[in-house]
Amino acid sequence: MGFFRKFFQGEPLQDRKIADDKQEPKQPSTKNLSRNIDYLLNEFKYTDDLKIRVLKKGDAALLYFEAMTDQEKVQQMIFDPIEMGKADHIYDIPNSKETTNLEECIRSLLRGHAIYMEDGHERVTMFNVTSVFNRSVEEPANEKVVRGAHDGFVENLMININLVRKRIEHRDLTVKFFKVGKKTNTNVAIVYMDGIANPELVQKVKKRIQSVHTDKVQSPGFMEEFMEDSPLSPFPQMLNSERPDRIVASIMEGRVAMFTEGSPTAIVAPSTFFMFYQSPDDYNTRWYAGTFVRLIRFASFLIAVGLPAFYISVVSFHFEVIPDDLITPIKSSINEIAYPPILEALVMVVIIELIREAGIRLPSPVGQTIGIVGGLVIGDAVVRAGLVSNIMVIVVALTAIASFVVPSNELSMTLRLLTFPLIFLAGTLGFVGLIFGFLLIAVHLAKLESFGTPYFAPVAPLRIKDLKDTFVRLPIFTMKQRPKGAQPVSTTAVEEGARGWKKDEQSNQSKDK
Amino acid sequence: MSSQTNQKISRRQFFFVIIQTQIGVGILALPFDLHHTAKQDGWISLLIAGVLIQLLLFLLWWLAKRFPSKDYFQIQEYVLSRWFGKVTSFLYVIYFCSVGILIVLIYSRLISIWVLPNTPFWVLGFMMVFICLYMVCCSLLVIARLYMMFAALLIIMVVFIFYSAKDSKLMYIFPVGEAGWSNIIAGIDMGILSFLGFIVSLVLYSKTEGTAKEKLVAIQSAQAFVFTFYLAIVLITFTFFSTQEMALVPQPVLYMLKSYEFPIVARIDLFFISTWIVFVATSLSTYLLMSSLGLTTIFKSLPTKWATIGVAVTIFITATYIGYDISKLNNFNTYVKKGGYIFSIGLPLVVLIFSFFRKSPAKEGASS
Repeated sequence: MGFFRKFFQGEPLQDRKIADDKQEPKQPSTKNLSRNIDYLLNEFKYTDDLKIRVLKKGDAALLYFEAMTDQEKVQQMIFDPIEMGKADHIYDIPNSKETTNLEECIRSLLRGHAIYMEDGHERVTMFNVTSVFNRSVEEPANEKVVRGAHDGFVENLMININLVRKRIEHRDLTVKFFKVGKKTNTNVAIVYMDGIANPELVQKVKKRIQSVHTDKVQSPGFMEEFMEDSPLSPFPQMLNSERPDRIVASIMEGRVAMFTEGSPTAIVAPSTFFMFYQSPDDYNTRWYAGTFVRLIRFASFLIAVGLPAFYISVVSFHFEVIPDDLITPIKSSINEIAYPPILEALVMVVIIELIREAGIRLPSPVGQTIGIVGGLVIGDAVVRAGLVSNIMVIVVALTAIASFVVPSNELSMTLRLLTFPLIFLAGTLGFVGLIFGFLLIAVHLAKLESFGTPYFAPVAPLRIKDLKDTFVRLPIFTMKQRPKGAQPVSTTAVEEGARGWKKDEQSNQSKDK
Repeated sequence: MSSQTNQKISRRQFFFVIIQTQIGVGILALPFDLHHTAKQDGWISLLIAGVLIQLLLFLLWWLAKRFPSKDYFQIQEYVLSRWFGKVTSFLYVIYFCSVGILIVLIYSRLISIWVLPNTPFWVLGFMMVFICLYMVCCSLLVIARLYMMFAALLIIMVVFIFYSAKDSKLMYIFPVGEAGWSNIIAGIDMGILSFLGFIVSLVLYSKTEGTAKEKLVAIQSAQAFVFTFYLAIVLITFTFFSTQEMALVPQPVLYMLKSYEFPIVARIDLFFISTWIVFVATSLSTYLLMSSLGLTTIFKSLPTKWATIGVAVTIFITATYIGYDISKLNNFNTYVKKGGYIFSIGLPLVVLIFSFFRKSPAKEGASS
């Protein structure tokens, strides 16, 4: 935890604090020890986990929250120096901090520090003895990649920033802390590259964070809903990720990442629609493969949103679209079904959602069983019973698979929600309804904005340079400029002559000849 | 979204706005209409009409260039005096509304004939007007972005149409000039009507970035593009159907596509008409936009949002009143077509002539 300690205590002149607390109340401490303790106990409503260790036969006291502190650290930092004779008095222990403000003591106690007070002295000494329980930085289960980094963010803000700093060793990487939530006092951090990120954007993010007035901030999801431009839109306007490499890539494009204490998820502003379709995997494979995978993902968007609707409009309105050879098999599979196609589709989509939701929270062996029972048994039985046609089962299963191809969970959810209105439109107006549905989605996407960036950039507004990393993934040395969607101040990402060695070698060869 | 309300559109976007406005309901019936008057020489009429419009656009550009910071409605108020200008602006709003109504009428009729025979008029009309309202109720910049995005669908249409070119027989357009010059000149009328919508280049001129010359290039190239597209459609349909057959197919493009069947899909005309809906929506949106722009110029205190909603509701109600009634539609059609000459050609030229009598308009335009 060297980083941790350095952060809190490393500055010689004055300690820098996580958040500015100029306006916070002050309560001067008195020389009377018991009065000080009474004040603290009263402020903490006589909570039972506030431990008071009386020292020096009642002349001094050490206070800390038992649940928040590490006993070993208490021993190591406070008692060891005295016992070993390195310091004569607790006040002389170097790694402590002093104050005469009892309100500050309250805040530091809440942070897990221990405070030492003595009768006859106003000053209070604080020691950082917080106990930290962290899980290891293992790969997030919902964002696995085949090749590439296998670490992930955890619930500790400092470790998350550590992961980012390790990847960007540059003085321009800037971290700003905020305290959000009147009761929870959650630490929120924004991380950006000064000199790449647009100052206006950073200002905008800061302003939005500061204007969040609420009791609690549980997760980035809370912050997202407070901060996003159009909360009524079904589309997520800030990218969520638990992967350091993904977040670092965004920061290096000039975006602002935001972390909250207690959550492994970072969110990125501004985000565009197409960012949700990029995965770190794309950049770790050959660019042909990356391009291919990306095209597959975009096909999955069309399938996930439109396939059931398209099928319904074909079988209920435009049977003539099916070529002659296919009509007989399709017609024979539908003929026996009592329900109209729209009802079939709705039933099947709801069943799939049920299976999915049931599978999430069950332990994995049971989850698999549910999947098999739900998928195979119900799917087969439903067709045999004549409730749903087998082509509809194919269509809906394909749709469900396609909706999971998106590398982002939020967008995948959005896609599955969008299926329903399109099914209704296709069931009532056929192709016309389908076109209107897609038109509505397209208009909505073009209208959306995320922190001043058009959500559907670089397609609308069109910017051909940025298309290199949108539908396809061209070699990295061709992406000379940062995407405009991130509103960067400095645009050059890859400098001229990034593959200059090639020319040198060729000229060398020609010299040899 | 307030950040973008006052931004200007780029020249590239301007180009696509003009294209998307001009290409609309007309393309399905254009070859039939031309053929109706000028037989197999209809393409010559279109050619002449195209050249005429190209020249006319030069005059319109000249007018707009003289008042670079004013939109067309403001120019009218300036040139024709305040109250007379307001009256003509209001007439324009009515005209744009009527074109909108006509678009909804023709679109619904075609959808009813080709795709959904049992659907009541108001459903189709409501969907279309609602989408356009949603599109327009924002800023010009967003509309321009959308139009540019939808232009990708043009590729699909072009591929469909050019696919059918493989079965064309050039013989059908011969002998050239058989219809006689009087018929060809009568056909120019139909040709010019198909290009109506170019007025948008005058209305949105001041809301575009770039110098006058650059804008002229954008306007002229957009017109040239639309002209080439129309000419291709007309030539391909004229060579696909014989002269006798053409008289029997009111929507030649669709009938032409209907005859093909691919191994994976049949009836590509249904896909074509689905794509066409998008272009109908874009044209209607532009007219909606222009009418609300006109209204807000006349009544300065009227919020754009309410102006747009008002126009949209008017279009919807009037269109629903006429409905599928073919005789009313035809009547309405003739009026709007006549109006097209007055409002797209006549009045702008009058304004241009009157503008010469105003003193140093360019300076005043630049200072305001």
